[in-house]
Amino acid sequence: MDDEKVMLIMTSGPDTPRRCATPFFFATLGAAMEYDVTMFFTIDGTLLLKKGIAETVYPKEGGKPVSEFMQDALDAGVKFVACTASTELHDIDPATDLIDDVKMVGGAWMWQEAEDCETVLTF
Amino acid sequence: MAKLNGCDLPEDLYYLIEKHVWAKPMDDGTVRVGMTAVAGNLAGGNLAGVTVKRKSMGKEIPQGKSMATIESSKFVGPVPAPVTGVLLRGNDKLSSDPNLAVSDPYGEGWIAELQPADWDGEKDSLATGLDGLAAYQTKLDADGVSCN
Repeated sequence: MDDEKVMLIMTSGPDTPRRCATPFFFATLGAAMEYDVTMFFTIDGTLLLKKGIAETVYPKEGGKPVSEFMQDALDAGVKFVACTASTELHDIDPATDLIDDVKMVGGAWMWQEAEDCETVLTF
Repeated sequence: MAKLNGCDLPEDLYYLIEKHVWAKPMDDGTVRVGMTAVAGNLAGGNLAGVTVKRKSMGKEIPQGKSMATIESSKFVGPVPAPVTGVLLRGNDKLSSDPNLAVSDPYGEGWIAELQPADWDGEKDSLATGLDGLAAYQTKLDADGVSCN
């Protein structure tokens, strides 16, 4: 186990905007604390990685869109990985439909990564 | 105390300008560190927390790497170490009043104390005195930052 690695599993998506800011805030905070932070997107979380979607999701009316929280996380060094099966669920083509900076992985990758992490949070 | 673009900046501290943190050598050979008035301004003022990572205590933090974090409702970011050193202690007062780091950044709002690895060797990489403040002024102007 690497005590500096942490993972956030993001299952929330555009249907639940209020659940979509805090996970990125926590990820950014973890990176600022020098943790090696990965966010694993699956179920509806993967929809936030589709081009043009996160810009339209507002956790708070009048606040900033999820895309800005995501950019803060990327700027801080958080890595985004997405579950291949969840792209099939939403008829997303990983080669053309997703934002840059996303690595595609299978479910077994998640299990192995979770074993290597000190902390795994699920949202 | 100098005032650059409205930001208070003492002449006698050592600054890692790029990261908006200061260092002050103490009589016992340790170094006290904190964030500048510029950092407090960039963070938006009202802080929800200043946290020194507990697991980093007793460990060496390289210059420029995060020794603490600051967070507000709208901002989160690292407080990088101005010099390489072993993290000795954080300022306990910040747990009850994190905004001391903004209201009194060079006094009661210091963030941590380090045992520097090589203060004499590394201090030349920091900005200090009138020349240092002139360099800080250049940075503030380049970034369009003011504390007004």
